[in-house]
Amino acid sequence: MISNKQAQREAKQLFRFCMKGQMLDENRIRQVVRYVIAAGHRGGPAILARLLRLVRLDRAEHTASVESATPLPADLQAAIQAGLTHTYGSGLTTTFAQRTSLIGGVRIQVGADVYDGSILARLAALERSF
Amino acid sequence: MANLLEELEEQIEGAKRPAGWENVGVIREIGDGVAKIEGLTDAMLNEMIDLGHGITGLALNLEETEVGVIILGDYTRLEEGDEVRTTGKLLEVPVGKGLLGRVVNTLGEPIDGKGPIQSDVAYPVEKMAPGIIRRQSVSQPVQTGIMSIDAMIPIGRGQRELIIGDRSTGKTTICIDTIINQARLNKAAEAAGDKSYRPLYCIYVAIGQKQSTIARIIATLDEAGAMPYTIFVVASASDSATNQYLAPYAGAAMGEWFMDNGMDALIVYDDLSKHAVAYRQVSLVLKRPSGREAYPGDVFYLHSRLLERAARVGEKYGNGSLTALPIIETQEGDVSAYIPTNVISITDGQIYLESDLFYQGMRPAISVGLSVSRVGSAAQLKAMKQVAGQLKGDLAQFRELAAFAQFGSDLDAKTQAQIDRGKRIMEVFKQPQYNPVPVEVQVAVLWAVQNGYVDQVPVERVKEFQTKLTDFLTTRRGELLAQIGKEKALSDTLKSGLKAATDEFAQTWKATSAR
Repeated sequence: MISNKQAQREAKQLFRFCMKGQMLDENRIRQVVRYVIAAGHRGGPAILARLLRLVRLDRAEHTASVESATPLPADLQAAIQAGLTHTYGSGLTTTFAQRTSLIGGVRIQVGADVYDGSILARLAALERSF
Repeated sequence: MANLLEELEEQIEGAKRPAGWENVGVIREIGDGVAKIEGLTDAMLNEMIDLGHGITGLALNLEETEVGVIILGDYTRLEEGDEVRTTGKLLEVPVGKGLLGRVVNTLGEPIDGKGPIQSDVAYPVEKMAPGIIRRQSVSQPVQTGIMSIDAMIPIGRGQRELIIGDRSTGKTTICIDTIINQARLNKAAEAAGDKSYRPLYCIYVAIGQKQSTIARIIATLDEAGAMPYTIFVVASASDSATNQYLAPYAGAAMGEWFMDNGMDALIVYDDLSKHAVAYRQVSLVLKRPSGREAYPGDVFYLHSRLLERAARVGEKYGNGSLTALPIIETQEGDVSAYIPTNVISITDGQIYLESDLFYQGMRPAISVGLSVSRVGSAAQLKAMKQVAGQLKGDLAQFRELAAFAQFGSDLDAKTQAQIDRGKRIMEVFKQPQYNPVPVEVQVAVLWAVQNGYVDQVPVERVKEFQTKLTDFLTTRRGELLAQIGKEKALSDTLKSGLKAATDEFAQTWKATSAR
């Protein structure tokens, strides 16, 4: 077995190895995972669990999730996408979804950043202020 | 020019965060009052984190992929996967005179059932201590009302004086006495309409103490009428380690408000040993590397940054002060342990209480040899200096000779006289708890001791002599005591007045004793 710290360190090294500039090279990460599994190293599962977490966090950082109460027209979707690319750079995967519980407005989440202009968020803020 | 300004304004406007922007994260791990949060990429160190359910956290560990947050509230209501958000604010507590007479928790929320706190100002809990330019030397006294302290280990406003000793040696009692004495002095000045007197407000921070003990202290202060001048910050043993860790900083913020507004305050940290233990717990749960006795490496900074906030600021900056009385509990009298040595090195002196003295009936059990005040003598009243200058030396000699005298009974007259004088001084310094003595009475009694009036009194009757002398002076020579309090120095006139009064009393005492 290897220690948690060692697993963390090795996962981080592998993750950095799979980066191409600022972006994650998907083919390389697939190869790395295959290689670690094939090697049958005792600490393999721990390293892979941590590597998976790093990939998940990276995906979240490069994924914009746009939610709205009603479906957005195509021109508005394009404008939002352009705005997000301008702010976060290229390589951002944008998904659009409908969420009626928002009541109105749009909620965009990119990694830890949330831009919430929905009625639901405003009602929640009002509730907090009481 | 107008175009340029418009252009810049437009750019600045565009650079602002869009409305509704939030930085969020998800709780990945939670337990023991600490949460590990994924996300929160924009979190600042010591920023308040909104954990939902009305619970707040404090970001303490900023790591590459997660943030370690200590939870200030009931963490059992939080769950893994809950969404949390940054607030953009540092942890703040309400400050101001509205807190006087109130019992509050670490966040400054009232826990005494007396309704909301009347305060519209808040101070950050973590604040940089005043710099060297803002500070000035300690020059005004804090009258504790405890004779042995005021005479031999004087404390000045803005000083940090450590109170150290084993369990049950009277550490808290010294602080309570000091608070009671401040209330007495504040009230007296208010009643006399004395505008020149600077009231000293008190803050008592209870860290990791039993609720029953805290309730008893509050009742004592209430009974003595000291609560209107006191703020009570409570992080009891049943509070989380995070609350115990933050409580002294919250108290310091409340005290700093008085200092910043040109007033004087005194803060008691009871006690910093438990505070270090609470911080150790938080650090271990946050998986910070541990060092000696499993304390984290920054345990010295934990206390140094807290105690550095006690200061006396210059005239230009309001002339306020914050005096700190930290308490440290030792184990088996070991002052060379890790935390005691740290705090001893930070403070401007220490009052060391000894278990042996306590059980011998010497209360307060102050060890004169090991206690010291490094800066307080500059603040001591001149009258006190005149009568107490020799006392510390006399007592040190007495202790040395008393130890020597145990080996033989043949002592020369001079040695015997020194031992006798020492015994009597020790008797004079015995004082019941919650019974502070006004400084003018202390001066008068010590003058009598210095001038040999006590030398003829049997040791077992010294206390009686002192009590009766005090009664005589307060009831029949009140104007003399008032004059000492007013002049703050013993002029020749005052000395002859004291001589006449003490002679008169000595005659009465002799006559009564002869019967």
